[in-house]
Amino acid sequence: MSNTTTLLAWRNIWRHPRRTLLTITAMVFADILLVFMLGLQFGQYRMMIDNSLRVFTGQMQVQASGYLDEPHMYRTIPEADPLAGRIRKNTGLDAASVRAYGFALVSSDTRTLGAQVSGVDPQHEPLVSSIPGLVKQGRYLQGRSDNELVVGSILARNLNVRPGDELTLLGNGRDGSIAATVAPVVGIFESGNHDLDRQMLSMPIDAFREMFSMGDEAHSIVIGGKRDRADRIAAGIRAVLPADKELVLLSWEKLLPGLKQAIQADFTSAWFMYLVLIVLVAFGVLNTLLMSVLERTHEFGILLALGVRHGRLGRMIITESALLALTGLLLGMLAGGLLAWYFLVNGFTYPGMEAMGERFNIPSVLHPEVSLRSLLPGPLAVFIATLLASLYPIWHMRKLRPIEALQTF
Amino acid sequence: MKTPFSMLITVAWRNLWRNHRRSLIMLAAITIGLWGMIWMTALMRGMVDQMIDDAISTLSGHIQIHAPGYLDDPSIEHLIADVSDNPALEALLYSPQVTAWSQRIRVPAVIRSERDVYGVTLVGINPPREQGLSFIADSVVDGKYLQSVDDQHVLLGRKLAEQLETKLGRRIVLMSQDPDNNIAERGFRIGGIYDTDLQATETRFVFAGIETVRKLLKMGSGVSEISLLGHDYRHIDGLASEVRAVAGNAQTSTWMQLDPYMASMLDVMDGFILVWFSIIFLALSFGLINTLLMAVFERTREIGLIQALGMPPGNILFMVLVESVIMLLIGLLAGNLLSWLTILPIRDGIDISAVAQGLEWAGMSSILLPAVKVSDVLLANAIVLVLGVAASLFPAWRASRKVPVEAITRIWQ
Amino acid sequence: MNSSAVSCRRVSKVFAQGELAVHALSSIDLEIASGGFVCLSGPSGSGKTTLLNMIGGLDRPSGGEITVAGQRIDRMSMADLAELRLQHIGFVFQAYNLIPVLSARENVEFVMQLQGVPATERRERAMAILADVGLQGMEDRRPGALSGGQQQRVAVARAIVSKPALILADEPTANLDSVTAEKLMQLMRDLNAQIGTTFVISTHDKLMMSYAKRLLKLHDGRIIDDIVQHDRQHD
Repeated sequence: MSNTTTLLAWRNIWRHPRRTLLTITAMVFADILLVFMLGLQFGQYRMMIDNSLRVFTGQMQVQASGYLDEPHMYRTIPEADPLAGRIRKNTGLDAASVRAYGFALVSSDTRTLGAQVSGVDPQHEPLVSSIPGLVKQGRYLQGRSDNELVVGSILARNLNVRPGDELTLLGNGRDGSIAATVAPVVGIFESGNHDLDRQMLSMPIDAFREMFSMGDEAHSIVIGGKRDRADRIAAGIRAVLPADKELVLLSWEKLLPGLKQAIQADFTSAWFMYLVLIVLVAFGVLNTLLMSVLERTHEFGILLALGVRHGRLGRMIITESALLALTGLLLGMLAGGLLAWYFLVNGFTYPGMEAMGERFNIPSVLHPEVSLRSLLPGPLAVFIATLLASLYPIWHMRKLRPIEALQTF
Repeated sequence: MKTPFSMLITVAWRNLWRNHRRSLIMLAAITIGLWGMIWMTALMRGMVDQMIDDAISTLSGHIQIHAPGYLDDPSIEHLIADVSDNPALEALLYSPQVTAWSQRIRVPAVIRSERDVYGVTLVGINPPREQGLSFIADSVVDGKYLQSVDDQHVLLGRKLAEQLETKLGRRIVLMSQDPDNNIAERGFRIGGIYDTDLQATETRFVFAGIETVRKLLKMGSGVSEISLLGHDYRHIDGLASEVRAVAGNAQTSTWMQLDPYMASMLDVMDGFILVWFSIIFLALSFGLINTLLMAVFERTREIGLIQALGMPPGNILFMVLVESVIMLLIGLLAGNLLSWLTILPIRDGIDISAVAQGLEWAGMSSILLPAVKVSDVLLANAIVLVLGVAASLFPAWRASRKVPVEAITRIWQ
Repeated sequence: MNSSAVSCRRVSKVFAQGELAVHALSSIDLEIASGGFVCLSGPSGSGKTTLLNMIGGLDRPSGGEITVAGQRIDRMSMADLAELRLQHIGFVFQAYNLIPVLSARENVEFVMQLQGVPATERRERAMAILADVGLQGMEDRRPGALSGGQQQRVAVARAIVSKPALILADEPTANLDSVTAEKLMQLMRDLNAQIGTTFVISTHDKLMMSYAKRLLKLHDGRIIDDIVQHDRQHD
């Protein structure tokens, strides 16, 4: 029975081929747009996140509780190196690196500026940060206790230094004492992140500890690794953290809340626009369905007179719109997927992207994501909207009386 | 033969309402489509306008004049002459084309409290002039704004004060490099705390009187920058050329050059809005064409009849087109009305502080003000009307092209 | 105007139906004098509708010449044909004669508007002709509010008000009951007598055929009989 209903419904749809084609095209058009835009958005977000995290923040960090909000020098992780070792062992991940931060007045021959100093573990830092790989002149740090520096490119320019020049650092130690050192610049890095390049220089962790009187402590253990394994890594880390809650594990969302919220805001506002689009398509479909039902009033009258029940009639109409919607859904997903896949392979760019790219750490060529979460939501929303739209014509037909219907020409 | 316009319009109008459900549905679609266009663009433009406004009022102004080299190396070494030494420039700055201007000394510095140390940018300002030029005067939330160029106090951002664990009335020490590459340092009392929506600003800028800074740094005459506002941030190149002409060796930059990201936002937004409009319109057009085709199909006999009566093909096209135009016009009217009704209540801005942090990261403040640009509204209306008519041409043309006998064949029976 | 309202010479019409060629009309020769009242009769498929279409300029013949109101119409453009229909030919169809959204009066005025007749004159003539066909008081009703017979009378009124040389009617009484049908035919005969417009009417009905002054029988696309009738009771 349902086979003939389906067959009948399918043929009914194609009674007016041009009308049906226009309707399906409208759905497919919306679908293509939605699939492509969603794919673009997801691809963009992923890139933004990965790029932002990759530079310096890492996937997550272990810090002393409270350090994030008030980064005072004395909020430290005690015995940081053994802890980092335990973390590496328990997670199987080599990308765990110890860091400490401080502030110093940096003087070159001609200039004095304030800068952030980060003490890093040269062996593990390249696994959690892209900066070691972005050294433009000279080289990165090598030994843990070497007395040398790498400087951000803008800072280096402002200080007027090149590799080989010396810098004098003057700051406050952890215990309040004067922290001072003179060290040569061995490398200059350019991360692309304006703030880092302008304000930061790095030195090996043990040299840092010596200068700032920090013993065996650190401010953060930065964890790298792949984002889709984040949960397992986090579990591994929590297992080796002390139970007294003095140390906390912070996800990237907490480290860069702005990023997460920027993404959310963008996503929400995009969906608002998508909704308008879907509503418009739904209206168009509604009209088509309504008309195709109204113009068959006479025919329905005959069916009713022959003894077909209203419920059956309703089911027939809904089967028609479901078939229509399904065709639109499948074609739309296919077409949208193809378009997105084309740009996945070839990259996508639009004017204004380069400037935006610098600001948000995205390269100026985007690769849309082609996945279930980009292929399905848009066309599915259109599909559902179409089905909902078809409810009106059915509702309208529910009180149809055979005699009235037969009198319609 | 005369074309009976009034008759055709009457027939078109009455035909619209013959099938009121269909017409109403199409009308609703047009209304929503137009509303989508106008409302969304108002919000988007508002967002961009505000970003740019924030960027401009965060010290950059419309146009800035610096020593060449200052932008690469914003230190005390790169100074330009005080404006009083350049009469031509002075005259221009006092002319009606410039709505506000001021001079500043801006150098990197280090601020130290009892508890902590940070790198900042020290800005020596002329307080009365800054009012109306930048954000500073309006964002003081605690204590007092600077009173004069010799004011001995400093203004700190709220977040910076928190980080330094200091507050109003306490002392801090400012250190910076003087022209001989020695460290100049002095203690100051915090006279006021300012608050902007952008934390990055608060932690970065420390304000003091320009002469106070000059004495601290043991500078001669000279300033780091001159900042000025014209009338319209969108059209600033004309004024910039005039400034360039009298500025001598100094480098003149517009805000767009200083912040290419922001500048690109304007263009990107313009482009994006056009794309958005086109998308909405395309979505509408399918429905429009379909509806019109159905309407025409339904009236095949009638159209055949009218042709048999001797109406020339052109008039029939006109009649169908008029139906579409009437529907479009009503839809536009309703759409504009709906837009106006939904923008009016949020005229003073929507509070979106729930996602405030993210916006700050993106450079926006947390109140979103809609900005209705008349050209956007006109464009939206024009697109719907003009393209709507264009889309209707096909069904209308088909109606008029039917050989009467095909239509009449249905009648004869 | 010359004495022939309609003249057909070797007119033929072939339709393509899929791969078949249907000869709807084969070599029709015909002259209809002006002022005539001619009925075309014949079973379905005999070609009477097709012949009416040809004469009315609604379709083009496949071969032959047709002259209506002194003009050769077999080669005319669509725009010229429209003009011809507007000025010289009136139509009464079996059904769907009227524009549904216009009132009876507006329907009658429609053609006059196309002809450029000024508003006051239009209105006067429309009201007058509606009264003539017996529809006084119903001028502002829309077709939906009129009976079948009344609708047909409006159609006749419209056809005649623009003073055409020729009125073509295809089975005008087919949807009417016999009393109304007779009234309609009588109306048309009266108008023919009073104004002298040529009528060409196709019909099935024998009673209607008795109204004709001249009866043309068609069969399989040819004229098989051409009878001049003396009408006794209808003059």
